[in-house]
Amino acid sequence: MDSVTAVAAREWISRFAEVIDQRAAELTELDRQAGDGDYGTNLRSALRRTRTNLAAGTEESAQAAFTAIANAFLHTGGTSGPLFGVWFREFAKAAHTELTATVLADAAQSAVDIVRRLGKAEVGHKTMVDAMVPAATALRASAEAGADAPAALAAAAAAAHAGADGTADQLALRGRASYVGEHARGVVDPGARTVALFFDAARPDVLVGA
Amino acid sequence: MPVRQLRNDPDEFVAEALRGLQGAHPELVHCQPDPAYVLRAQPARRAKVALVSGGGSGHEPLHTGFVGAGMLDAAVPGAVFASPTAFQIAAAIRASDRGHGVLLIVKNYTGDVLNFSIAAELVADEGIEVGTVLVDDDLATEPAAEGGPGRRGTAAVVAVEKICGAAAERGATLAELVALGRRVVDSARTMALALAACTQPGQDRPSFDLPADEVEFGVGIHGEHGVGRRPFALARELVPQLAEPVVRALGLASGASVLAIVNGLGATHALELSVVHQELSDYLNGLGVEVARSLVGPYVTALDMRGCSVTLLRADAELIELWDAPVRTPALTW
Repeated sequence: MDSVTAVAAREWISRFAEVIDQRAAELTELDRQAGDGDYGTNLRSALRRTRTNLAAGTEESAQAAFTAIANAFLHTGGTSGPLFGVWFREFAKAAHTELTATVLADAAQSAVDIVRRLGKAEVGHKTMVDAMVPAATALRASAEAGADAPAALAAAAAAAHAGADGTADQLALRGRASYVGEHARGVVDPGARTVALFFDAARPDVLVGA
Repeated sequence: MPVRQLRNDPDEFVAEALRGLQGAHPELVHCQPDPAYVLRAQPARRAKVALVSGGGSGHEPLHTGFVGAGMLDAAVPGAVFASPTAFQIAAAIRASDRGHGVLLIVKNYTGDVLNFSIAAELVADEGIEVGTVLVDDDLATEPAAEGGPGRRGTAAVVAVEKICGAAAERGATLAELVALGRRVVDSARTMALALAACTQPGQDRPSFDLPADEVEFGVGIHGEHGVGRRPFALARELVPQLAEPVVRALGLASGASVLAIVNGLGATHALELSVVHQELSDYLNGLGVEVARSLVGPYVTALDMRGCSVTLLRADAELIELWDAPVRTPALTW
């Protein structure tokens, strides 16, 4: 399989929702140490809405699946939820065509560009951007090397986890953690970890199995 | 024990209040439940630029009470002290657009700025032209350095909504309204003090405690701490302390003319606000500054906070004329 099909996109997003459910407590604990502790709850409520949107959708397409998750996040309050919303929305926009490694790389690039612009965050600010940028870079490199979509997404997941791990050493300059300063030193940014878990959820067995 | 309030389920507080607003003013406003926003009951008679504002609830009558002829076309309420969602804002923009563009009036808070920006992106893809006026009048949060979130948006937003609303009714273009709104913001600054903090729904105590002999100076509209404490004193001593930094920031000198907003923060009696206004007028007259127009009352509140804010807006003939233009909304009518 070279690209992400409609069924695979749906499986990918459903798998992401399951993983977040399993790890919500861990993400909330990260947010409690570095923010205000409501991250896991907000994320789960966005994903509940995603499931509702997926179930209500009549159209079976990758675009419909990504629109379901984008709208669910745009429907949440706070700041990280809506930023994930615009991020997913770029994947939804790209998904009108076949989701090849090159299309995914383009989508990931425009997605991180809009999050940087609206969130006014850059790499090193200890936010979701610290995982989004390396993921986009890895997708681009994989696409240029001729990798298929599953291999490119696996490379993106590895790069995003490395980016998320790196946030532990950073002092937050944007987002919730910027209010607690040094207290957040040593804590991985939960938004960055979430990005990595999203790419993880596209693991080959999910895509191929679909 | 949670502080007693006249409400039912705290999760339904805002939704029930919206139904109450519509019930009290069916000829003026129409409230959409989900996604929640408030529209004019009757759209403007002529096709014009639509004005949309919004933000967290708990500041009523802002913004929902300012929907109507001569002011807003739509208001988008979030939960108490929380930004509305981008999805809600986009829905309100779509519902109020008449094909002449939409002016977004946004108070400068991270969540509001982000969600209004995202909503603007969503509707821009659908071909709706959007312009934004960011309101950041609160002097207490004047940034010491670059890079922070900047001044908060507080009571000057009422002047922006009223003045731009009047200009829109007269057929001003979106670009003209953006420029006008920015001019109002640049000409206005605000300073506030609290005698007592507010209590969020379901909480058992106010957001901060104040000793009986002190006031919290430089408070915002979310129950957050101010910039310092000062001794409690008579109104004639406290009001000049609010007005002086505003006069200085605006560079008001003898011969200047202002629009003054004396705003109650939620639980301040009208008698107190009248005294504050009188002290403010005396202070300004002493400087040779004319108070051309005044608005006195609870317009931009912080739940049940006791205290007030003073906003001065450097006035000229155009702004006064637009301020005087007819308005008919639940909270402001002349």
